[in-house]
Amino acid sequence: MSSISNTRVPLVDKAEESVEDRKANEFGPLTSKQFLYEVRSRDGEPLNDPILDTPSYYVVVITYLNYLILIILGQLHDFLGMTFQKEKHQDIMEKDGLAPWFSKFESFYVRRLKLRIDDCFSRPTTGVPGRFITCIDRISHELNRYYTYPGTTTMCLNLSSYNYLGFAQSEGLCTAAALESIDKYGICAGGPRTQLGTMDLHYETEKLVARFVGKEDAMVFSQGYGSNANFFNSILDPKCLIISDELNHTSIRTGVRLSGATVKAFKHNNMEVLEKLIKDQIVSGQPKTHRPWKKILICVEGLFSMEGTMCNLPKLVELKNKYKCYLFVDEAHSIGAIGRHGRGVCDYFGISPSNVDIMMGTFTKSFGAAGGYIAADKNIIDRLRCDLTTTNYSESVPPAVLSQTCTSLRIIAGELNPGEGLERLQRIAFNSRYLRLALKRLGFIVYGIADSPVVPLLLYAPSKMPAFSRMMLQRKIAIVVVAYPATPLIESRVRFCVSSSLTKEDIDYLLRHVNEVGDKLFLKVSTGKAGGSLDGKPPRWDIDEVIRRTPADCRDDQYFAN
Amino acid sequence: MQPPAVLPSSIVVPDFILRSSSYLWYYCQNAVNAIPGSSYVVDYVKRSHQQDPYRTIVEVFLIIYGIIYFLRNPRKQGVQEGPKMSTKEVDALLDEWQPEPLAQDASTVEWRTKKIPVVLNSSSGSHVDVVRNDGAERYSDVLNCASNNFLQLSCEPSVIKIAKDTIQNYGVGACGPAGFYGNQDVHNHLEYDLARFFGTENAVLYGQDFCIAASVIPAFTKRGDVIVADNKCSVSLQNALQLSRSTVYYFDHNDTEALEELLQQLQERDLKEKLPALPRKFIITEGLFHNSGDIPPLPKLVELKRKYKYRLLVDETFSLGVLGATGRGITEYFNMPRQESVDITIGSMATALGSSGGFVLGDNSMSLHQRIGSHAYTFSASLPAFTVTTASEVLRRLDEDNSIVQRLRLLSNQMHEFFSQDKELQPLIEVTSDKDSCVLHFRLTEDMRFKKFHYTEESLFEEISAMHTKYLTNKHIESYESEEKFLQQIVDYALKEYNVLISRNTFVLKHETLPVTPSLKVCCGAQMADQDLFRACDGVKTAILSVVNTTQETA
Repeated sequence: MSSISNTRVPLVDKAEESVEDRKANEFGPLTSKQFLYEVRSRDGEPLNDPILDTPSYYVVVITYLNYLILIILGQLHDFLGMTFQKEKHQDIMEKDGLAPWFSKFESFYVRRLKLRIDDCFSRPTTGVPGRFITCIDRISHELNRYYTYPGTTTMCLNLSSYNYLGFAQSEGLCTAAALESIDKYGICAGGPRTQLGTMDLHYETEKLVARFVGKEDAMVFSQGYGSNANFFNSILDPKCLIISDELNHTSIRTGVRLSGATVKAFKHNNMEVLEKLIKDQIVSGQPKTHRPWKKILICVEGLFSMEGTMCNLPKLVELKNKYKCYLFVDEAHSIGAIGRHGRGVCDYFGISPSNVDIMMGTFTKSFGAAGGYIAADKNIIDRLRCDLTTTNYSESVPPAVLSQTCTSLRIIAGELNPGEGLERLQRIAFNSRYLRLALKRLGFIVYGIADSPVVPLLLYAPSKMPAFSRMMLQRKIAIVVVAYPATPLIESRVRFCVSSSLTKEDIDYLLRHVNEVGDKLFLKVSTGKAGGSLDGKPPRWDIDEVIRRTPADCRDDQYFAN
Repeated sequence: MQPPAVLPSSIVVPDFILRSSSYLWYYCQNAVNAIPGSSYVVDYVKRSHQQDPYRTIVEVFLIIYGIIYFLRNPRKQGVQEGPKMSTKEVDALLDEWQPEPLAQDASTVEWRTKKIPVVLNSSSGSHVDVVRNDGAERYSDVLNCASNNFLQLSCEPSVIKIAKDTIQNYGVGACGPAGFYGNQDVHNHLEYDLARFFGTENAVLYGQDFCIAASVIPAFTKRGDVIVADNKCSVSLQNALQLSRSTVYYFDHNDTEALEELLQQLQERDLKEKLPALPRKFIITEGLFHNSGDIPPLPKLVELKRKYKYRLLVDETFSLGVLGATGRGITEYFNMPRQESVDITIGSMATALGSSGGFVLGDNSMSLHQRIGSHAYTFSASLPAFTVTTASEVLRRLDEDNSIVQRLRLLSNQMHEFFSQDKELQPLIEVTSDKDSCVLHFRLTEDMRFKKFHYTEESLFEEISAMHTKYLTNKHIESYESEEKFLQQIVDYALKEYNVLISRNTFVLKHETLPVTPSLKVCCGAQMADQDLFRACDGVKTAILSVVNTTQETA
């Protein structure tokens, strides 16, 4: 492959703009009080079974055909390339007696399928990933083998960053606090937590986090992935069982594998299967020896980042209490973004956090910082402080990141600048509902529940991903397309991450363009059974009517099927 | 004689059955004939029936048996049929089951938490204010000999200014993983800077140093691959080996002869077995060992890797920025080009570079594959921009002026000489680190440990392994615990009497799968004054002597 480091992304000078413009570009000012929505707490009521819309068969057939053609072409390409252009395929062939870094088969998907659409991923950006994101323009050469940079930038409407509450800002209380803490504590934290990596700021943040999520104590880590990946081996061993949702994040899977515990997966959000599985496992015990399990831990995510669905917490808590299992909820995407007070799934469902044994979350998303936390009862955390590998061997969280976290937490909780946190929460709730219902009405298949800020729009055929992504970039909208292996093979999708920093007008702009692109790419394939339809027919509303009627309608749950 | 009329001459088949079956037969024939090429099959069946009618009967039976077998066994393979139980029995079992508590009792480790120093100002500075035990103990202006920020470049005002400027331009978090708009221009620049500074084709940034090995090694290994690792490597590598799915062999710590013998054996076995495809093979070691602070014999390792066609992975978390004339790590220390000698280098920005996160250095095709296959890279958010620009600036400074690396080496050498040459300390402690290591590792001598705590490194390892095979997670070993407490007394003494902060090398026994012994660390920083270092050395020495003496008296 070509050398990537030879073509360097240019460092972009900051654009000259007034302070007001800059503020508005990072966090759009609220245009009207109408565009706020206060989330209703479900008061312990469990979720209904989700209704998944499925497209007609020709869409599925075309998607498989699409893959088939790509795979045949890729194999042909491989065969011809490895026969006639050996020098270009060095990296999948044995060289000097060394096996290739990756085999031809393992890397086929990456080389022949993903490389074709690589220009839709890893677009370099600069500046704050707020309401707008500044993408650095690049020109692709030799089918995305390398890029050159003309030195220009494009400002795009940002629906790609996990900036749910819009705390990615270069000014304001959070930034001021971060700057101040650099003055006081320096840039790095000095070592592992058990050696010299602990500052009073760490304990302060931990207390705040614990209070925010409603647990007795918490711990913070410098990376969200790492907090999961190195957590399970401290509490589980091979005599324990993990019951895990099939769509759980890779970090959980890595952590579980490291612990050596037995893993059983259940179908996404299917509570009947889960109950049967728990019963079977308690009765039959460990495989081979049939001794009882030492502990059983149910692992779910609060908000699934690729689906937009939420775990069915009331039902999970019921099962967990009934069968004496432990419950682990990964709130990476839900903390801050979900619930009337932004306190995650427990807040949303109106369930006491004491019912969840371990709550994990990250600061990367809603808080505009980085890192993760684990919150639990005090005796558990006390033990974990000494037992976790992360605290003993890994770096600690940099102080500026902690200050950003602390300040944004305080703003959400209403302790700082009262009203601001509430506005942010109500804006994201409105934006999510508005975008979701509007897309449904336009005729797109959208997954997930009404209040989720992750709005996945199904594309199906893999070649529609680059088409959608490039067309949106031309229209100055930054979106994320995802496909296999992050999703099931045929369910390629585009994921809109809604943010409080977007105004209603931004979403109108987005909708108009998605509508246009959707017509061109034949994406309006919904049947209407998952909402959006008033008369049971497939919804294909006119864009102007959608924009006129949806802001009021999206407050009402009856228009959403899920 | 006519048969009685009550019995019919033949069994009457209802007409509609006859008619419908003949229709059916007719349509079946038509349907079969409609399939192109079916006439050949029909001909074949007819001919085979003519030649051997019994064969047709056998085949028809076989087909019927196949259908019955298929219908009777609804593919239950894999699902274990448990004993049949009534609902009552199931309920009783469900009711009976009692799980263990989620975490073990914290009281046995409470003393460790109490001894964690909490810093009240910058922990990278040469002097820090520290409290312990929930503020019960306070120490101000303590000499800092525990920080991992060895070069202390990131404490300089100009670097801090760059970090602050970055926050004012980029905010704090990057709000996304690298693949989805998370990588900013500064990230790309740092990757370029790192690759250029350390002399490799490419570099890949990660969010946390400890996760890297456990992510990058499994990205390149699968079942059947071979890993040969040093048997003193740290927990991050041990985790990686566990996740690698490969066959792992260990060689004795830094013993190249043992390694060569092992490689020779493996090669012979490979020749015998005739594998279908060449497996990937790796030799894994550390630049400066996390637990002992010594340096591996790199030239010999590189020679062996070339001879036996292995790839070499070096975890340089502690050695980058420290070893080598200009701080370019272990390859520079041995005067070797990095790109040609080491295939994968793992580095940390949280140590000598004084920032946060980590990186992997290597060639282009490996880096490219990592960006898709390495989980900690693809599934984790990008680093905050300010940590990235800080690291870039520190690298730029190092490139311009490397006197600070030499200064650090001078201090390290002095510290090492002090402890290893001291006649009074020699019977008590053993210095395991190299003289160029800025972290001085020392532990009790074998004799002392046995005399005081009645165990040896080997016996401890045996005990841990025995617990490991039984999956006992609460590895509480009293003698080990008391040695840890003893070492902590030395740390406490130095802190109370001399205002010098050193640290135990903190382990978690239950995560260690290789032999370990408790040890102490003294770190020096490049900006430490000479007299400060001597004060620290003196303080630690007195602490060791007096703690050893007092415990001997009480014993």
